[in-house]
Amino acid sequence: MSERSMRRLRFPPASVVSMILVAAGILLWMFVSRGLLIVAGLGAFGPGILREAGVLRDQDEFQREASYRAGYHAYLVGGLSALLVLSAIEWGGGAVDESAEWLRLVVVVLWLTWLSSTLLRYWGSRTTAARVLTAFGAFWAVFVVATLIGDWSAAGSRADVMQDLLGTAVGVGVVVPFFGLAWSARRWPRATGLALVSVSLGFLAVFGRRRGLAWSTSALTDVMLIGPVLTSGLALLLDRDGEAGDVDGA
Amino acid sequence: MTQQELADLAGVTRQTIHSIERGRYNPSVGLALRLAEIFGVPVEALFELDREGGPDE
Repeated sequence: MSERSMRRLRFPPASVVSMILVAAGILLWMFVSRGLLIVAGLGAFGPGILREAGVLRDQDEFQREASYRAGYHAYLVGGLSALLVLSAIEWGGGAVDESAEWLRLVVVVLWLTWLSSTLLRYWGSRTTAARVLTAFGAFWAVFVVATLIGDWSAAGSRADVMQDLLGTAVGVGVVVPFFGLAWSARRWPRATGLALVSVSLGFLAVFGRRRGLAWSTSALTDVMLIGPVLTSGLALLLDRDGEAGDVDGA
Repeated sequence: MTQQELADLAGVTRQTIHSIERGRYNPSVGLALRLAEIFGVPVEALFELDREGGPDE
């Protein structure tokens, strides 16, 4: 496939492969072996290394500019996060755990910052927020459907059925708002941004520090589950573009 | 000419053309010259200096 035809694709092959590797790496890390997190690393950093080496030439000048600019943002946020973690551990006097989870947290912050900044620059805040929310909605939909299939197939008594109906309602209640907010992000960015920031901060206040979990695990979970939604909300609140009709992949 | 046709001729993505049109992205000199060549006009006919900001569409 030529460079030109690759640029016509909405989701370029390198981005698709990258996302698949990241998702596969996280699943392998969770369910097979901790060492297989390297697969996610290949997805997150592999395409960039190939582009810098001149092997992969699938981006135009705007995409490269967005990527380089995002690299500076990732340096600032990732560096600050690393220093905050170090300070917390050294001042914590044993109250803060010293685990590899902190290193994972810094890597995740670094990568999410780069990804968010690239997408916000390239697509603009409304399209980025809409796509992030759609991706989250799809992720939760798969999770909810898989859980419900398991529950319904095991249901025997009337009490089980009632419980499964309740579970279905809760599942729909979790998934549908993501798609609704993805739709409203393009039409009412300020209101949607306010809703996203409020829900994210509310969720952080209530569930942010989970009892029984180490500080590092809690922080990592919050960053992965709430970080992209909060970032989308803040971007929508600061939206100045009024953009519409964006289509291409980053 | 559609954005996609222009993007194909210039060798960039449609999103890049869209962002240049909306003033979200200032193209390189090379891309600006290529766009001017495609339209058969001098580059000043497509872009002008924004006295308050940087070079703009």
